[in-house]
Amino acid sequence: MPTLDIPFFGTLVLCLILISASYTMAIAMGAGRGRPQLLPSARWGTYATCALVLVAVCVLAYAFQVHDFRIRYVARYSDRSMPWWYLIASLWGGQDGSLLWWAFLLAGYTFFVTRWLRGRYTELQPWIIATLMSILIFFVILMLFAANPFATYIRTTPGDGEGLNPLLQNYWMAIHPPSLYMGFVGWSVPFAILVAALITGRLGNEWVRAARLWSMIAWTFLSLGLLLGCLWSYEELGWGGYWAWDPVENASFLPWLVGTAYLHSVLIQERRHMMKVWNVFLLSLTFFLTIFGTFLTRSGLIASVHSFARSDIGQYFVWYMGFLVIGIAALMIWRLPKLKADNEIESLVSREFAFLLNNWVLLGMMVFVLIATTFPLLSQWIRGEEVTVGPGFYNKWMVPLGLVLLFLAGLGPLIAWRKATGSKLLRALAVPIGVGTTVAVLQFLFGARLGYPPIVEPTEIYDTATGTALAWMSAVAPVVSFATCAFVLTSIGQEFWRGMRVRMKRGEGAGTALVRLVSKGRRRYGGYIVHVGAVFMYIGFTGAAYDVEQESALRPGDTMSVGQHTVRYDQPRMEADPNKRMIFTDMTIVDEAGNEKGQVAPAKFIYRTHPQMPTTEVAIRSRLAEDVYVIMSTVDPSTRRGTFRIIIRPLVAWIWLGGIVLLLGSILSMWPTGRELLREEATRPRRLRFSPATAVVALAIVVATMMAWAGVASAQNDSSSTLHAGSVVINDPIERQLFGRLLCQCGDCARLPLDTCACSWADDKRVEVRAQLAAGVEPTKIQESFRAQYGAAALAIPSDAGLDRALWAVPLGAMLFAVGLVIVIGRRWQRRGAETRPTTVARAKAELEYDSRLDEELERLEES
Amino acid sequence: MSDFLPWLFIIVASLAVVAGLVSLWLSLSLALSDEAVSSVRAQIDTDARRALLTEKEALLQEIRDVSFEHDADKLSDLDFDELNAKLRAQARHILHELDEGAESFRDEAEALIAERLADEA
Repeated sequence: MPTLDIPFFGTLVLCLILISASYTMAIAMGAGRGRPQLLPSARWGTYATCALVLVAVCVLAYAFQVHDFRIRYVARYSDRSMPWWYLIASLWGGQDGSLLWWAFLLAGYTFFVTRWLRGRYTELQPWIIATLMSILIFFVILMLFAANPFATYIRTTPGDGEGLNPLLQNYWMAIHPPSLYMGFVGWSVPFAILVAALITGRLGNEWVRAARLWSMIAWTFLSLGLLLGCLWSYEELGWGGYWAWDPVENASFLPWLVGTAYLHSVLIQERRHMMKVWNVFLLSLTFFLTIFGTFLTRSGLIASVHSFARSDIGQYFVWYMGFLVIGIAALMIWRLPKLKADNEIESLVSREFAFLLNNWVLLGMMVFVLIATTFPLLSQWIRGEEVTVGPGFYNKWMVPLGLVLLFLAGLGPLIAWRKATGSKLLRALAVPIGVGTTVAVLQFLFGARLGYPPIVEPTEIYDTATGTALAWMSAVAPVVSFATCAFVLTSIGQEFWRGMRVRMKRGEGAGTALVRLVSKGRRRYGGYIVHVGAVFMYIGFTGAAYDVEQESALRPGDTMSVGQHTVRYDQPRMEADPNKRMIFTDMTIVDEAGNEKGQVAPAKFIYRTHPQMPTTEVAIRSRLAEDVYVIMSTVDPSTRRGTFRIIIRPLVAWIWLGGIVLLLGSILSMWPTGRELLREEATRPRRLRFSPATAVVALAIVVATMMAWAGVASAQNDSSSTLHAGSVVINDPIERQLFGRLLCQCGDCARLPLDTCACSWADDKRVEVRAQLAAGVEPTKIQESFRAQYGAAALAIPSDAGLDRALWAVPLGAMLFAVGLVIVIGRRWQRRGAETRPTTVARAKAELEYDSRLDEELERLEES
Repeated sequence: MSDFLPWLFIIVASLAVVAGLVSLWLSLSLALSDEAVSSVRAQIDTDARRALLTEKEALLQEIRDVSFEHDADKLSDLDFDELNAKLRAQARHILHELDEGAESFRDEAEALIAERLADEA
């Protein structure tokens, strides 16, 4: 290998990136401020900057491959025994490297956007480039002054590295962060287009169309990243769940919620030239939340199992977020006169209004999650008391909001734009409501027998009226969810059928009608398929209400029964590779007649670099109806006796299936039409055809490759790991409710509640609490004494009193205020719309000779 | 693979260095010359026309969608007539603007042809 001073060279390249990006930003701003001849120069400057970022990433990747442990980051996140693919994944495994990775993805987006912009949006271009460069400059400054991935050790260089955290040595972890970052970084592009539109004052639909594809790409990657994160959590963390409402998970969920609201709301602007200020706000907020999410992850301000180490970079983010807020607010105020709507809502029974309600729910969810995520910090600042907001709080509040959102997904397609007639709407609603009701009745009749009872046992997070109300809402959630899922699926199916029927009346066969219907309305029908994917995911989420779990100590040959499954423990087995030792326990799943249904092998992995952190590898047998999730807690090498925890998780596979359908729907809605492709070819030289089509195809290839890789990886290794060791036994619902409210205080797993934590401290505490319960002490008293002993932060959910009540009262109040506002504004618009309608019509020039040309164009559109 | 990868990263980094330097040189040379002025100005004119074409395309789609919703029995005849008339009026307006814009292109094209013919003569 050539001898290079890699640390020096890497830092030098970072400096060059800063110089090049600053130069490009200055040139681009010059081009935007009346010297358009500088635009080609700015474009080449952008390419130069992107190339330099690629150099920096290659240098760091090279350092990992040749084990250059002079570099601190390389030494901390790799070791000599790691295979090459984890050495590549180490690039984003720690804070400093992930900032470089972020810059790399931003440079990639910037490169493609700059190519795509050639020959279009000339007046927006300079400002788009300048904005993207400014974001890149921020990340390079972060690296150079606070988190340099090429920084070296001051004294001695270690002989070997510390190795990547065993939890990160997992195939999902190799693809989850890049995908999530692609989503986060991707929102920079539509944001840059928006900033350009605000600066130039070109605030019609031009910027919306320019940003459409890039918003969809960002949203798709963010969705994929969240989904892969769920998979990683489900397979890797070994607690049996896929979403723990951890601050870092929430940080990526927040921009997703607002981005989803934007994607719906912007349709109103495109179609009806309304809600321009709102869309500017939503897109800005989405981008802001990507930065805020990164800040939460990096600053270490909020405790999280995902957080990177506490570092100084938080202050840089605070300054940057302040700059963003002031900058965007100033631009919006400056351009307010140009952001006036051209139309008004003409009826509250219209698709526009349904989208407004959808925005209301999504933003309401965002406010709930945001306040709950930052509440520990706010509580610390305001009253100096640390509190914890555990998953129970989110699960209870998000379920009703999620169900309203789901209902709107079914209602929206049935309502016409602008104004729906009552009779037509009722006719459209009849079948979906009928099917939804039928499903609910069937569940009441047969659900319990099939293992899906309509109502589950209520569990309270508070001992107050709010707690009881929430408990009952979540108790009836299964039947409401299944009925709403059926309603939405029928509504979407009906939309397809109505569309097909129109085409079939024109003489097309059913198959042709379906194909042409979808191909002529990719965006609309792609969107419906996305909704189908979301419904499948809701089915999976609802399955969580029926989880069954059991724990047993077994000797080889013993069996244990969980739900309708019997699992036999066959034998332990040991294997080794250069990186770790692996202790497997072979188990067989048998049916009631004793026939073998499948094999699973949960295990313990002991990594060479982290012998003190044996990981528990869960084994999952996944079917559409349910997953059998097997965890080996302990195994005694001498007696071969093992302790196993088995969880039956109904319908989980529907979440992954829904995710795939959702991604396919997104790709379909982004797929370019033949006309778009033909126009690209007709107007642009062949060698420069970096079109939306190219971007969409590239996206499809990336997604397909990820899925294929994941599929192969999953087939090769149907297991994963956790740092848990030990077992959890819960005897009755009172214990479950109480243990769910108390957090382990061992110091290593502070955020885990006692109904999940398997460490010895939690075990002892459970025994103690059980004894108190047996002695007749009220659960509320036990909870109070736990709080008095360990502080408010030891409770998984803050109390429903005093300032703690603000946790739900503030977002709920904001939502109620917002819905009132939406209705009042809607009514005002409705009145104004009725008054202004004739003027709008009169504004267009009525030249009859153009009518025949329009008809010809419409015919061509239909044939293309 | 682990022997090949370091070389791969060196090769890619070297190529990127060359591409970066070339791009930077092109950027600087373009910044110091006025060659691009006319082409960028022409591009701005083309952009305006392209924006109108895109607007026309969106309106055509919208007219088609409204017609489809009417056929699918989502829009009443009255609403359809009003909405369709409004959209068609907007589309006619765009067509008119496109025609007006084409005049300047036609004048420019005629001037170029005349210039070329004069040169040949």
